[in-house]
This record gives sequence, C-alpha cells and structure tokens, in this order.
Amino acid sequence: MDEVGTLAVGMAFVVSLYGLAAPLMGQRGRRPELLRSAVNAVYANALLLVVAAASLLRALLRRDFGNAYVASYTSRDLGFWYTVSAFWAGQAGSLLFWALMLAGFAALVVWRRGQHRALMPYVVATLMGTSAFFTGLLTFVSSPFARLPFAPPDGAGLNPLLQNPGMFFHPPTQYLGYVGFTVPFAFAIGALATGRLDDEWIRATRRWTLLSWFFLSWGIIFGMMWAYVELGWGGYWAWDPVENASLMPWLTATAFLHSVMIQEKRDMLKVWNLVLIILTFVLSIFGTFLTRSGVLSSVHSFALSSLGPLFFVFILLVLGASIILLVARLPLLHSRAELDSLLSRESSFLFNNLILVGAAFSVFLGTVFPILSEAVRGVKISVGPPFFNQVNVPIGLAVLFLMGVCPLLAWRKASPRSLRRNFLVPGMLGLLAALLLRVLGMTHPLALVAFALCVFVTAAILQDFHRGAMVRRSHGEPYLLAAVRLVARNHRRYGGYVVHLGMILLFAGIAGGAFSTEREVVLRRGETATVHQYLLRYEGASTYPTRSALVTAATLTVFNSGKPVAVLTPQRNIHKTHEDQPMTEVAIRSTWREDLYVILAGLGEDGTANFRVIINPLMMWMWAGAAVLTVGTLIAFWPERGEALRNRARYLVEAA
Amino acid sequence: MRILVLIAALTLTLAAHPSVARGADRGLAGEFMCQCGCGLTLASCTHLSCGPRDAALAELASLERAGRSRAEIRAAFVARYGERVLAAPLRRGFNLLAYWGPYWAIGSGALVIVALALAWTRRGEGAGHAAAPALSREQREWLERQLRALED
Repeated sequence: MDEVGTLAVGMAFVVSLYGLAAPLMGQRGRRPELLRSAVNAVYANALLLVVAAASLLRALLRRDFGNAYVASYTSRDLGFWYTVSAFWAGQAGSLLFWALMLAGFAALVVWRRGQHRALMPYVVATLMGTSAFFTGLLTFVSSPFARLPFAPPDGAGLNPLLQNPGMFFHPPTQYLGYVGFTVPFAFAIGALATGRLDDEWIRATRRWTLLSWFFLSWGIIFGMMWAYVELGWGGYWAWDPVENASLMPWLTATAFLHSVMIQEKRDMLKVWNLVLIILTFVLSIFGTFLTRSGVLSSVHSFALSSLGPLFFVFILLVLGASIILLVARLPLLHSRAELDSLLSRESSFLFNNLILVGAAFSVFLGTVFPILSEAVRGVKISVGPPFFNQVNVPIGLAVLFLMGVCPLLAWRKASPRSLRRNFLVPGMLGLLAALLLRVLGMTHPLALVAFALCVFVTAAILQDFHRGAMVRRSHGEPYLLAAVRLVARNHRRYGGYVVHLGMILLFAGIAGGAFSTEREVVLRRGETATVHQYLLRYEGASTYPTRSALVTAATLTVFNSGKPVAVLTPQRNIHKTHEDQPMTEVAIRSTWREDLYVILAGLGEDGTANFRVIINPLMMWMWAGAAVLTVGTLIAFWPERGEALRNRARYLVEAA
Repeated sequence: MRILVLIAALTLTLAAHPSVARGADRGLAGEFMCQCGCGLTLASCTHLSCGPRDAALAELASLERAGRSRAEIRAAFVARYGERVLAAPLRRGFNLLAYWGPYWAIGSGALVIVALALAWTRRGEGAGHAAAPALSREQREWLERQLRALED
C-alpha cells in the first residue's frame, strides 16, 4: 500500500501544479475549458489525497513497521485511537493531514463556485499553489510512505506526551484553523488579481473565516487543556514559541473579523482588510515553520527537520507576491474614507484592530527576540513567561476594555447624551465590582482591573441585549420571545456578543491565575497536610503494569470541612517505548471556584511521597468560556435570510 | 517488566530526594529558565530527574540561605549561566526594544488612527453638507416599516 500512497501523493503534486497553471492560462487565453479542467483537477487532488491518507491509516492500523513513519510513531501496545492520532503525530503525517484538509476545502470551494465565477480562476490557482507546496514536500522531502530496509518487530511508539485525548483533538482543530485561512486568502488574491475589490470577496468568505477562526480557537483551547493535564507543571500556557505561533494568526484573524464589518458598512479599510488576511495566512504558515524548523526551542518540538528553510522560502514567496499585487492595485483601493465622528463605533473598531494587531506584534517580537538578540548583540537570551506576562497583560486588558466600549458606542456618531445613557450602568457596575473586590481584600492590581472590566463588559453586552428585547416587547412580544427573536433576527451581531461573553469567562479564568498558590508536601502513609481549605491524607502508593506503561500511583483522600470530597491518584508512568521519559499524570479536582491540582513529584526510599499541590482558581470558567464561545460562533455562523441587504438597509435608515 | 519496576522505583526515589527543589523559593525559581532545553522555567520544568534544574535550584536555595537579595541572586545566576538564564531579559540596551517596541507601535498606530479619523471626520462633514437633506419623518417611518417587513 505504500506504493499506492507514494503514487497518490506524487500524482497529487502534479495535479496541484496543473491546477495552479491551468486557470491562469485559461484566464489569459480566454479558454473556459481550462478553468473547467482546473476545477476537475481540484476534485482529483482531493481524491488522490484521500487515497494517500487511507494508505497511511491502513499502514498505521495494520502496524506495518516496514513503513518508517509507522515504525517511528506507533508500537504494538498502542491503543486504537492513539494509533489513529499517530497520523498527525509526526512531520510527514501532519503534512499529509494538512494537504488532505486543504484539498477538501478546495473541493468545497469549487463545488460552490457558481456565485463567484470571476474570482474563481485565481482562487483555484492560489489553493492549488498552496497544495503544490505541501504535496511537493510530501513527494520530495518528507514522505510518510518511506520504507525501512527491514521491518523491526515493534515500533518506537508514540511520544508519551502525545498519549492524551487532547492529542486527538488539538492538532486536527489547529490545522483546520490554519488551513481554513487559505480560503479567504485565496479569495483576497482573486479580488486583487481581478480588481473586483468591493466587499464581494469578504461576503464570499465570511463563513470560511469564521469557521477557521472557530477551529483555531478550539485548537488553542485544546492545546491549553492538553498542556494543563499532560505537561503537568500546573499551568495551561507557557508562552512557548509554538503556542505563540497559534496565537498570532488568531489575533490577526480576530482583527479581520471585526474590520470587515467596516468595509461592508462603510466601504472603508479595503487595504487594511487585505493586509490582515494576508498576514493571517502567512502567520499560519509561520506557525508550521516554527513547529518544524527548530529555530526556537519548544516543548512542542516533537519532530524537528530541515523543512524550515523551505517554509521560509514559501512564506517569502507568498508575502512577495501578495505585496506586489497589493501595491499594483492600490489605485483601485481608494475608499470614501469618511467618518462622522471620532466617537463612534467605527472608530472603536479601528482601535480594537490596532490593539489586536499590536498584541500579535508583541507576541511576534517576544517570540523572535532571542534570534534578534543573538543576531544583533551576539548574546543568547531567553524570553519566557515573566516577560510575556509583563508586556501582554496590559494589552490584553485594553482588548477587554474595548470589547465593552464597542457595543456602547453608536454607529456613525455617539452623542454626549447617548454616551451618558450607555456607559452609566456598565461603568458604575464595573467600578462597584472593583470597590467590592478591594474591600474583600483583593490587592493584585491587574487582577482587580481585569475583574472590574469583566463586569463592565458583561454589563455592556447584557444592557444591549436588554434594550433590544425591550424594543421588541414594546411591539407586544413577551420579553423572552423578544430576546430569542432578537438573536434570531441578527445572528451576526448577537452571536458576536455571545462570543464576547465567552471571552469574558476566559479572561476571568486567566485573571484567576493571579491567585494561584502552590505548596510542596512530603507525607508518610496516613499523614495529612492542609492546603487552603483542603486536608489531604496520603493513603499509600502502588505500582502496576498496564498494556503500555508501568504506573506508579499515589492515593490521596481529600477532605473539605471535615468531609471527604474526593480521592485523587496522581501518577508517574513509565512507558515501555520511552523508558527514559517518565510521565506525570496529574490528578485534578475541579469545582467552579477552583481546581485542586496534585502532582506526584516522587517517592522516597523511606516511604514518603512528595507532592506538589496547586490551587488554581476559576479554571473551570475558562473551559465554560470556550463552550460559550462555541455557542456564539454557531449563532453568528448560522445563515440569515437577506442578511447583507438588511444590514445595509438598517444602516442607511439609522444614517438618515 | 522487573527491569521496568526497578527503573521506576529508582527514578522515583531519586526524584524525591534532592530536597533542594523544596528549599528554593518557587516564585524566584519562576524567574530563571531551566537549562535542560525544555523551554520552561526552573519552577515549571516537568522532567522527573533533571540535572541542570536540580543543580540550579540547589544553588538558588543556597544563595537564599546565605541571605542574598533577589538582585544579587539574579546577578550571580547571570554570571554563572549567561543572560539566557533569565526568563525575562534585562531591562536595558537592546532588550528595551522587546519591552517597549509593542507599546511604541501601538502608540504610533493610535496617533495615526486619530489623525486619519480626524481627517475622515472633516471629509465626512464636508460630504454631509453637500449631501441630500435627511429623510422626512414619513419617509423614515416607511423605511422602518419596510425594514421590519424584511426582518419578519
């Protein structure tokens, strides 16, 4: 089957090259049959990559250790789902996974090509050009179908760090996000190439962008969950280069999702929107470059290789071509560029974009600063969590503040009266929250500001909901029905607000981290230790083998106010295939108030057990925020009848 | 399997006993990067047995016991391991670019936005004067009705 896979990937590369050239030639020579042929090439590419993926999956599940990739990432004792996840555990497999998803997205795009025929030749060329890069890497540099001279009796096994349910969801969602941004980027290139620079390309890709943003959000969240339970240092975000690499396109994509509204409503920011989507796509590729190049040390560098320079060249090519096109089209990108007031929702969106892109720049600068420092000063430095927290927390608070301000400002022009009316209640509630928390003893200044802002933003959003519902109620609808219909009539706006509520929960969870406390305790069997309100009693340890590992588990009974509330069993596992890499399996007891997080640090010869006990406040709020964010995205994603027309009409009526 | 058990017992026992890890202030340990290449701080390095971490934590604990201040400990660590041991670069010289670069960029961007927005506002006011008069009340109500019909 490896021959089939190799052949399929090689053919996909050739077909991708054809799919890149044919529509451009067809457009130039006015030969529509070439475009039709290119569309067929897109379908053929998808089919070939499905065949390649099926070949690899078959090799993985059949434990074909003659295949170098299978031998490197699986072993006989690996369970079914982890064997499946080995598909994207290594470099070659993840490249194939990327190419497969891109091919699927491209097929979906051309399947619905009827609406945007003029852009299609360039959209197809861009998608297939990107596919040619990835299938080229798979064909010439990193094949998942390479054979070993002889088949070993067992494989090296999956890195124990990757043997976590998060591994099954984190890379696919993250890649879906990264790959998804290729579609709006391709439409942007189509718009630039054809000179159709109105908001057609934005309307055509709004849902793609939203979907890609959603997947990238979940990719990041799954990554946080994985880090929290699997890496076992007690946190969920280490400002690692690879984590940062996923955050950067997320930030620019978030800015893009907001700024396109200005182009749709006011025909402004055309150049800015193109810059943002180009940046988002390039940063998505940059993320893969960072993961694969090894230019920066990372906890995620499971498979380093020499692919870095090729990704770098591809990034330069994409940037170069995009900038040339953009500059060439600048004369066509003039917009009316009129604002009624500096105090308007439009202006607040501009500042929101500035802060989001500023945050992306800040993360970028911090991530590459060790390289810069070495190049300029010849001194190696590290840029770790304390630096990122110092620089980025104020920027994050500014994002949170603007999240509250935007809905409170009227479109076009906010009058002093409306400002008073809109800011009074949320502002007062925010201040009240700050005062209350201060009185209750909260002294951490940034956390205090963060919680006060959370209250302010929540109040601002709920106030907007309430007013909308009250307007409908004045037409005779019951309040609840009015609220539901309000959302149903404007999915995008209210879906966005729900996403903001999810973000507030996430921010609150992050702010809760300021009060995280940690204690190290050494206990003999039967001894107890008190950590905050919890009493932990060590019951003993046991060592037992499982199918793939030797598990050492310590048992702790947890009491709260004298009542037993949980039995925790933090573990240290030694996997048969990675004996040199003992793994921490933390034990967590989650409540809405806090997580009790216990790490088994070691066992002493004298029968003692050494535990790190961490109290992480409000962790569950973060995961709840992720769920709320999902609901909001689904609402915003749901199609609306006459949505664009209605928005435009509503805006004109308000303007009049 | 017996060998595995021995390895497990040995590593877990060894891990438990360098009590130096317990001696050091974890807050301070969070200011220094572990030199094992894990990319995490001394407080976060999750390796079960990590020579560089344990040695650094031992040094940290002994410096604390000797009554050294935070600044002195930082200087001692930089002298021993180089600047790369600091999880946040020193706030001086070229490093200031990393600390202030984002704020400088955001500040400059804010100035540009304010200048542009003011220019656009003036242009908008100019266009407003030339534009057709606002809708009459009847026209506005008619539009509202049509819009509501579209929404329903």
